[in-house]
Amino acid sequence: MITWLRSGFSTRRSRHGLWGVPLVIAVGLTVVLTFGTDQFATRENLFNLVAKAMPLLIAAIGQLFVILVGGLDLSVGSVISFSTAILSLDGPAVLMIPAVFVLAGLVGLINGLVITRLNVHPIIATLAMQYILLGITRILRPVSGGEVPGIVIAAVQGNFLGLPLPVFWGLFAIGLAAKILYGSRYGLHLFAIGGGVAAGMDDAARNYGIRVERNIVLAYVACSLFAALAGVFLAGRIVSGDPNVGLLFELDAITAVAIGGTQLSGGVGSVHGTVLGAIIMVLLANGMNMASISPFLQTAIKGGLLLAIVGLQSRKKMGL
Amino acid sequence: MAQILSHPILRRLASVPPAYYVFGLLLLTLWLARPNMLNPNVLGIFIRQVVPLGILVLGQLLVMRVRSIDLSGGGVILLINYIITSKTFPEASGLTFILMALAIGGSVGLLNGYMIAKRRVSAVIVTLAVSIILVGFVQFLSSGKPPGDVPKYMNEIFNISLGVVPLPVLFWVACAGVMWLVTQQSVYGRYVEAVGENPEAAAFSGVPVERTVVLAHVLAGLIAAVAALVQTGSIAVGSVRVGLDLPILAVAATILGGVVFGRGEGGVWGPFFGVLSFSMLFVVMTVFGVGDPGRLIAQGLIILMAAILYGWRSKRG
Repeated sequence: MITWLRSGFSTRRSRHGLWGVPLVIAVGLTVVLTFGTDQFATRENLFNLVAKAMPLLIAAIGQLFVILVGGLDLSVGSVISFSTAILSLDGPAVLMIPAVFVLAGLVGLINGLVITRLNVHPIIATLAMQYILLGITRILRPVSGGEVPGIVIAAVQGNFLGLPLPVFWGLFAIGLAAKILYGSRYGLHLFAIGGGVAAGMDDAARNYGIRVERNIVLAYVACSLFAALAGVFLAGRIVSGDPNVGLLFELDAITAVAIGGTQLSGGVGSVHGTVLGAIIMVLLANGMNMASISPFLQTAIKGGLLLAIVGLQSRKKMGL
Repeated sequence: MAQILSHPILRRLASVPPAYYVFGLLLLTLWLARPNMLNPNVLGIFIRQVVPLGILVLGQLLVMRVRSIDLSGGGVILLINYIITSKTFPEASGLTFILMALAIGGSVGLLNGYMIAKRRVSAVIVTLAVSIILVGFVQFLSSGKPPGDVPKYMNEIFNISLGVVPLPVLFWVACAGVMWLVTQQSVYGRYVEAVGENPEAAAFSGVPVERTVVLAHVLAGLIAAVAALVQTGSIAVGSVRVGLDLPILAVAATILGGVVFGRGEGGVWGPFFGVLSFSMLFVVMTVFGVGDPGRLIAQGLIILMAAILYGWRSKRG
């Protein structure tokens, strides 16, 4: 236990990255908000925060998969908007909910294939996908509106065992990601691929017999599926489709992953760190709201935070 | 099939930047659909619209040749546009505005360059974050409302025409010429090429790799400032949304123009025609009544196609 805790503060010990630092920050922020404000430690505010944190948490966990293999997915925000647009198309729930995941999986598949088979840089490929998908979303739903299937709304708004339902969405996403990344051969392979990429030896994992291309494609599929899950959740929360709901979401997700101690160069990162990163982002937003800081300024501050966090991570490669 | 694909003539054709083909194709489409649009006066007006993009591309191609990228141009353009139109500095003359713009562009470029070359941070993340900071800051200052009018003399300069050629277009061609001289004739241009081709080899050969990349970003920032001034001249009223999609269009035009990520390839005129292609694309889409969603899809597809084409070529290297 002690060794495990210590590993969170050391850069060399663990492939889980520096997650001890965000842990301290998250606890610190909670203490400051609890004793510094009256509104923070109330039941309503905490329940509201959990619901607010979930889409970011789920999307960030998805983003973690591609960041672990040294990639980046900038199409996450568009996938989220696209999912809410599909759900609000007025179709039967049994058809629309699977459709969201099938289409999102297809988006991830295209991303992955374009990156691995056609040799396109991940950032360019997913940026192009972001545009294409945003265009399609705006054709499906030019302005926000429409009705989301009742079952989705019921699954998001409500309580179970005295806890708000969003908690269970989060636990599901965390459990699934932890199982895949820590409890399967596939997860181990992702770490191996990313470790090689970060060290500047792109072929390291391939030389050990790992099927690099296929695993990277699956990472992009996983990222899109988690984004779709976040989209379904958001659709249940706003009760309608919105073509702009996911705007800039990918950057929030990347920021959360990076704050959680995951190295953007690949190979080093953790689910619990990512969860902490998402919690920090939400706590900061909550604190800034209570201090009535303009939302525009909050965007700027989040950008500054992202810049500061990535500035602290050194990597070997220069450029993109 | 493989033999046909590696035929010398086909290889030669494939090494021409796609921008020329796309431009030709769009021009042909326009000629078939609306032949009367193809007169110098109308085209001059359309090309004048993309001059800010064209100038921004000159910086983008420089940073992309050193294997970096700059997405912060939108923020720079927005901030400079805000400063000029918001009457924050009521007494400022045109020259003061130009100096302020260059100072902003230069310092943003320096920050980008420092983070990317010295701190080795991902260029996309750095420049996106910088852009978000600038955009958020401007929207905070203006509370999301349009700031005010553009000074009259800026519009007047923008609207000058020499014969059928608008002054901004001439200015753009001149800037591109200067950039061509810098990349082809100067020592710095050689450094850029060396770093783009192979940073390790360049470092071992005594090329100051980090300094080359930092300088590329500073130049890109300064060029973005110039683009901001031209963009401001092109609109009558300031806006808090102006120029936000220009950086990504600049990346697309640069890829279209034959500059390859991770390879120091590509000149100045390929991206120049990349921008002209976009100008034609906007005309064609307007002619066919394609709306904003179609425009987004077309932009994405063009970026993707150009990148795939180059990915395919560099793999066969």
